[in-house]
Amino acid sequence: MANLLKWWQTMRISWSRYTAYRLNFFLQVIGPAIVFFFIKYSLWSAIFSQEPHKVIQGYDFQGMINYHVWTLIVGLVAQGHTAMNLSEDIRLGRISTYLIYPFNFWEFHTASFFSFQILQFCIALISLGILLAIGVISSLTLSTLCIGFLFCFYVSLFWYLLQYLTGILGFWLEETWMLRVILQIVAGFLSGAIIPLELYPQKFVAFLNYTPFPYLTYYPVKVFSGDYSHLMQAFLVIAFWIGITFVLNHLVWKKGIKNYTAAGM
Amino acid sequence: MNTIKHYLSVYRKFIETSFAEAASFRLNFVLLILMDIVFYISALATVSFIYDHVSMIGPWNKAQLMFFVSFMLAVDHLHMVILSESFWMLSTDIRTGNLDYTLLKPVHSIFIVFFRYFRASSTLNIFVTWATLIYFGLQANLTTLSWISLPFLVILAFILLAILEIMISTSMFWLTEGLGINFLRMQLQQVSRWPDYIYQRTIKKVFTIAFPILVIGSAPVRFLYDNKLYENILLLIGAIIIFYFLLLKLWDIALRRYDSASS
Repeated sequence: MANLLKWWQTMRISWSRYTAYRLNFFLQVIGPAIVFFFIKYSLWSAIFSQEPHKVIQGYDFQGMINYHVWTLIVGLVAQGHTAMNLSEDIRLGRISTYLIYPFNFWEFHTASFFSFQILQFCIALISLGILLAIGVISSLTLSTLCIGFLFCFYVSLFWYLLQYLTGILGFWLEETWMLRVILQIVAGFLSGAIIPLELYPQKFVAFLNYTPFPYLTYYPVKVFSGDYSHLMQAFLVIAFWIGITFVLNHLVWKKGIKNYTAAGM
Repeated sequence: MNTIKHYLSVYRKFIETSFAEAASFRLNFVLLILMDIVFYISALATVSFIYDHVSMIGPWNKAQLMFFVSFMLAVDHLHMVILSESFWMLSTDIRTGNLDYTLLKPVHSIFIVFFRYFRASSTLNIFVTWATLIYFGLQANLTTLSWISLPFLVILAFILLAILEIMISTSMFWLTEGLGINFLRMQLQQVSRWPDYIYQRTIKKVFTIAFPILVIGSAPVRFLYDNKLYENILLLIGAIIIFYFLLLKLWDIALRRYDSASS
């Protein structure tokens, strides 16, 4: 019970921290997702304006915009979190305090992540409400929405573990932001966040299905669109990758903490 | 002339120290190169995959849009090498008051704030960006005049990008936490990486006249495709001159706003 209270308090503190500089939060987290959607909307509008009735790999204009609306929502809920502070905590020696606290480094950052997810969920709901109100999304059922969000939370757990892994590599690296950016570029490109995977060469998609990337955006979008045919497979694949990243995080932390020099102490 | 010599000698020192620093962290050095290359591949492959299913996007075919993307990557490469690091330092310097030391130095503060950090590792990617640019330039059948003017236009486009980004960064002086401004800056960069014709008329007008980020790539590339469209070059040069003077004015206002946190 006492431990639960620590989790709750950490989540509250993190919430306050995230919302302290609201404009900064908007520009850092929400702004990029909106601009990304705006560019994709403009691009596909330009493509379909030449042939309004064209169907590209099963997507007409409305279908394509729907796909990108859901990538916006999935991006907010499943891939919003970054490990910006983790490596800084290591480099500046701030993790020394966590080593003596009765609430460890992993617990602290995971509680912060949960807090971030609640915030992102609220933002995603507001965005969805606006998109429904202006008629960008035409049909939506409550069950699809619930399954979609639950699946996104599940995917976000994997994304968090990946981010955590890049963060704790700070035990060896001076800077880890490059790894984070590489991960974001690769995930954005290979997950179907930029264009649907149906537009990629078939052999390339067959290869991608062996990686976790399509499960970060493409399959969650399919779930939101009411296509549950790959849900179980996606669930199992993500479980497999969560297992691997969890073990890797554990091993890297164990080895890294031996390297830790507590800079500034 | 002496002023230019002085600035160049200072800049040479900046480059030397940046190279020395980069050489100390070899894995970082490699990761930065890798990061840029991954970005170039994803940008080019995205356009290529779209063109597997459509023949034209707006008035441009595959070779033309791929050349446009390559042009923007060449501009982005200059930006990465010369400017990108400094933007991230500015928000911290304003918040902590470290900017005091910059303001005391006997060179223009814009020069020292935005040109201090040279990203040594990214210099090697010049071969990648220019090889891509030449390859797609050949496919787009550029004229001799276009080939001659290409390096100058890349530099002019970079100058406009730099001026506009520095202008955006001045808003950090009005904020307690300026980190988010860097994300705004990067998002506007994303907008400029696509040709202006994909955007709706109002957006296009705003980003061509009021804040000309769409001029950075679209104006020079349009001239490169059709050398009779010289008004695009006038637009680019005009935007550089006007926004350069606006930047100087804005920077002065911003500095007056600076409250020197450490003093």
